[in-house]
Amino acid sequence: MADKVNVITIVGSLRKGSFNAALARQLPKWQPAGMNITPAPDWRDLPIYNADDQNSTGFPATATKLADAIRAADGVIFVTPEYNYGIPGGLKNAIDWVSRVQNQPFKEKPVAIQSATGGPLGGGRMQYHLRQAMVFLNAYTFNTPEIFVGMAQTKFDEKTMEFKDEAGIKFITQQLAAFEGFIRKLTGK
Amino acid sequence: MNVLTICGSLRKKSYNAALMRALPGLAPEVMRLTVAPRVDTIPHYNHDDQEATGFPASVMAFGDAIRAADGVIIVSPEYNWTIPGTLKNAIDWVSRMEEQPFKDKPVALQSASGALLGGSRMQYHLRQCLISIDALIFGRPEVIVTFAPQKFDAESLELKDQTTRDMVKLQLAGFARFIERVGVK
Repeated sequence: MADKVNVITIVGSLRKGSFNAALARQLPKWQPAGMNITPAPDWRDLPIYNADDQNSTGFPATATKLADAIRAADGVIFVTPEYNYGIPGGLKNAIDWVSRVQNQPFKEKPVAIQSATGGPLGGGRMQYHLRQAMVFLNAYTFNTPEIFVGMAQTKFDEKTMEFKDEAGIKFITQQLAAFEGFIRKLTGK
Repeated sequence: MNVLTICGSLRKKSYNAALMRALPGLAPEVMRLTVAPRVDTIPHYNHDDQEATGFPASVMAFGDAIRAADGVIIVSPEYNWTIPGTLKNAIDWVSRMEEQPFKDKPVALQSASGALLGGSRMQYHLRQCLISIDALIFGRPEVIVTFAPQKFDAESLELKDQTTRDMVKLQLAGFARFIERVGVK
């Protein structure tokens, strides 16, 4: 067996009880033997992107840290809600910051996407917007299976936030296994 | 490496067809380009027909050509802000085939239009469809030819705009590297 592929999760929600954060925390349970999933550095204290600030004081430490983590990882998984049919502004702002870093970290980086929402579509509209942003950054975005966790409140344990949807777990397990293959194909690791 | 080009426009003076014809002159040496069978020979998809009489010969030929290629370049106009119906219909047919021909196939996109967005809205819709059929979609550089009448010779339809030619060259060179990296062969 080759070295494990190192994958980081970037969560698009900040709230404590977030279904997406809960899902990201539990991904290691379903990771294939050849994958090691860890959380990316937190992006919550990033200021709003402003090129003037970048030019006068450089990148905030948080942006540099996040960019370094993405660059060092073999792959990235976004686990994020959909806000107003789109990408949460905080997450997009984090992407906007790291996209300006030299040696742009998403370039040719394997990326997979997961989303959970309270509604029936499970974040699908957000995912296709995020994919479009990833085209600009020239990431390699993984195709199928896609993970859309709809009606999230019925699929997580109310107290422990454990994800208990059997069908969802099956798809996630399949996605992670296929994502490992995708990463190995693209990175040769 | 063998790369198949598929054109989404049927009209004789199509800028997209003209762009497609320009590709062999701009491709790296390792890349050999061939033109796919025309998509207008394919009937409207109807699952009843597929069940009753199977795949039409035109669909088989189209599917075989894609399967045999190391990569595919789709060169297409934008109709009403999205994918031309005829091109989508061809994709819909082959998507139903066993040994689905687009699976894990490197695919690059190009478009030309008379206006300022150059067919980009079509490209992002097409990218979304290609996820469903599990193609390996090339990222950048993108080829989005805006204001096409200014970039092709009015008579010969030769692609004469140097910036566009350079961009196409860059994409084809990048696509060749992409195919070498991800190709199944």
